[in-house]
Amino acid sequence: MPEAMQERLTDIGPPHYEKFLPPVIKQNYGKWKYHEVLKPGVMVHVSETGAKLFTVRAGSPRLVSTDKIRKYAELADKYCDGFLRFTSRHNVEFLLTKQENIDPLIKDLKALGHPVGGLQNSISSIVHTQGWIHCHSAATDASGIVKAVMDELADYFETMVLPGKLRIALACCLNMCGAVHCSDIAILGIHRRPPKIDHDNLHKTCEIPSVSASCPTAAIRPATVGGKPSVEVIEERCMFCANCYTVCPSMKLNDPLNDGVSIWVGGKVSNARHEPMFSKLAIPFLPNNPPRWPEVTDAVKNLVELWAKNARKYERMGEWIERIGWPRFFKMAGIEFRKEHIDDFKHAGLTFKRSTHLNY
Amino acid sequence: MAKTVEEVAEAMYNMIKDATGLKKLKATDLTKGIIEMFGDEVDKQICKDAIKQLVNSGRCVYTYFGGSFIELPHKEGAAND
Amino acid sequence: MAETKSQTPKLDELEKGRWPSFVKEIKTAAQKSPMAADLLGQLELSYNEKIGHWKHGGIVGVMGYGGGVIGRYSDVPDKFPNVSHFHTIRINQPAGWFYTSDALRKLCDIWERHGSGLTNMHGSTGDIIFLGTSTPHLEPIFSELTQAGFDLGGSGSDVRTPSCCVGPARCEWACYDTLALAYDLTMNYQDELHRPAFPYKFKFKMSGCPNDCVASIARADCSIIGTWRDSIQMDKDAVREYADRGMDIRSEVVDNCPAKCMDWDGKELHIDNSYCRRCMHCINIMPKALRPGKDRGAVVLLGSKAPIIEGALLSSVLMPFIKIEAPYRQIKDVIERIWDLWCEEGKNRERIGEFIQRVGLGNFLEAIDVEPVAEMVAHPRENPYVFYEEYFVEDEEEEKK
Repeated sequence: MPEAMQERLTDIGPPHYEKFLPPVIKQNYGKWKYHEVLKPGVMVHVSETGAKLFTVRAGSPRLVSTDKIRKYAELADKYCDGFLRFTSRHNVEFLLTKQENIDPLIKDLKALGHPVGGLQNSISSIVHTQGWIHCHSAATDASGIVKAVMDELADYFETMVLPGKLRIALACCLNMCGAVHCSDIAILGIHRRPPKIDHDNLHKTCEIPSVSASCPTAAIRPATVGGKPSVEVIEERCMFCANCYTVCPSMKLNDPLNDGVSIWVGGKVSNARHEPMFSKLAIPFLPNNPPRWPEVTDAVKNLVELWAKNARKYERMGEWIERIGWPRFFKMAGIEFRKEHIDDFKHAGLTFKRSTHLNY
Repeated sequence: MAKTVEEVAEAMYNMIKDATGLKKLKATDLTKGIIEMFGDEVDKQICKDAIKQLVNSGRCVYTYFGGSFIELPHKEGAAND
Repeated sequence: MAETKSQTPKLDELEKGRWPSFVKEIKTAAQKSPMAADLLGQLELSYNEKIGHWKHGGIVGVMGYGGGVIGRYSDVPDKFPNVSHFHTIRINQPAGWFYTSDALRKLCDIWERHGSGLTNMHGSTGDIIFLGTSTPHLEPIFSELTQAGFDLGGSGSDVRTPSCCVGPARCEWACYDTLALAYDLTMNYQDELHRPAFPYKFKFKMSGCPNDCVASIARADCSIIGTWRDSIQMDKDAVREYADRGMDIRSEVVDNCPAKCMDWDGKELHIDNSYCRRCMHCINIMPKALRPGKDRGAVVLLGSKAPIIEGALLSSVLMPFIKIEAPYRQIKDVIERIWDLWCEEGKNRERIGEFIQRVGLGNFLEAIDVEPVAEMVAHPRENPYVFYEEYFVEDEEEEKK
């Protein structure tokens, strides 16, 4: 064993990024002067030196096979001397120095089934999590909803007709791998039933004090059930966060009868104009209805189109709603305002309306 | 007198063994425990080295259950063959 | 094995439509990989039953590391034996997600030899994700990856793989070299990245300007966001060109300025830079005419996170402006002081943002030896319950603690 450890390479870190930068970038690193969007999904960056770098951005399902990656690599070889990159929203970007290669590349990408777009006033790819493809705590699938929603919104990826940017994100549970909580529209998988406790196995797999301590509302306490040490849950206090399940697999929250999706709106991370904002609850619950989740796709499409029709130029979803006010938003969106919309966790009072600034 | 990495690793191993089934220990728990036990004879770096030695030798493994712990190797409940 | 291939009518529906289909990707991989074929079957089962079928595995990994591999086991291994094990591997991406076609092919070769052939390019944190392999393949994959110059990313209570925006490689707004800083911190903290030693995860994200393309302010424990101190660089002729080409400078630019620090007289744009909030709006919409200033650096913010456990947080200002220059001692020194304190006092699964909320920002700053400044708060406190720490006692001249 010690010899084997000697031979192993560890802690080498990622390859240095310079190895993967095309010559035009190496020569103009830090010297870019301005950029222009030439058409949907295509932009040019112009350097102080006069050099030009063209970028073609294509959407992706994020979950890609090695065959698809090899196809990306072939396209990069054919049009970009082998150089390409990916974006923070899972798009693939081809880096070209020859303008005449742009249209043939777009043709090839479209033949491959990958739309070109996602720049400027468009909807970029949906940042999302693993869902039923890989996650143990998912309250919904991720890839399936994303596919169904983007099938409906693909036009807005491939054009730039929206008032401003619109960022959609999906997380399949409250753990929210990704910045779902600051998106124009967030689709969030939710549990709605307290954990079903596996009393037979809990004491074997979990430490009872850790399970109790994991609950943010102190709803879990030690108990003896059927002669075995276990825990009990004060159900009225459970807010379905699944933190206990993360700590202990015997506290399962997944439940086909009650799991589903909630929709949140008006968040942003950019500092442009308005400061960054959290997304706020628009629709407390929609059912899991695979394979196309029609209730979710309809709700998202409705929100996108409502915003597109009514927002001013550059106004993000949250800026628009802040201008018109939440009561009007609920009315315009045809969403019933309910008890669930009112915060009751920490600092909830800060979210109450504390003025007479109302319109009628 | 300063403790050697081996001595610290041995003491940590015993802490982990004694806590097995009662409490999962994190790297920070081990470090705090060792410093409490040996005082000025140890520092944080030697604790780090001792953990590395325990894990590299296979006597202990890192685990993750909503947080990272250091445990004795064992088959977990979820594992399929 | 081939004859047990599942029928998947629900998933087949998701091969249709305009957006690229993940089902097609799984089916493509399934032509070579029984694992991908069984994944499809198990997913169809989930679509029928509306529930996931995975168990979390907390022990698997490569020798010596505590992060980089996420254990997964099917809870229906009898039906889908090829996904009985379906572990994920996180591979530290090159900064800025730049690749050559050759590097991608090398990764594909390794993954086709040892896994399902399915990937995420990329995961939310930024890593390359290899989806689905079994325990015996982990060491061979690791060894082949390191031979190819790649290493695993973070998972668990460690430094998570740092990620950054495209930065000066392709963006005129980059106020510092995000790629260089991401690479440097990644290399400097390899031990912290691979051997979990913290109360919980710690994420670094670097954005070159306040547009924050990697969403660092929403999901990084340490958000390093580029900005500038001097005046916006303006090309007055180029501003007029935008106006001539139909941009309504007043309504589109001036009226959208959050600081109301600009004016347009029909010929010239005036900016009172002393009031500019560096929001980027005017620069975003007139990239040929306006650019960030020349005295560039970054704001360092701390503490953002998703809701689990104590509620979601955005990062807040720790250092209002610093120059970002190698070897980045200023950032590393403060981060290491923060880690020391957090390891000493933090609770299990307590992110740094939650820790600060619990102990109070004022106490936190004192403990890490950073002076409080007004830039750190949206406004000073509104409640009068102040923990004054000193008071006088009769007949004593000196203040008493």
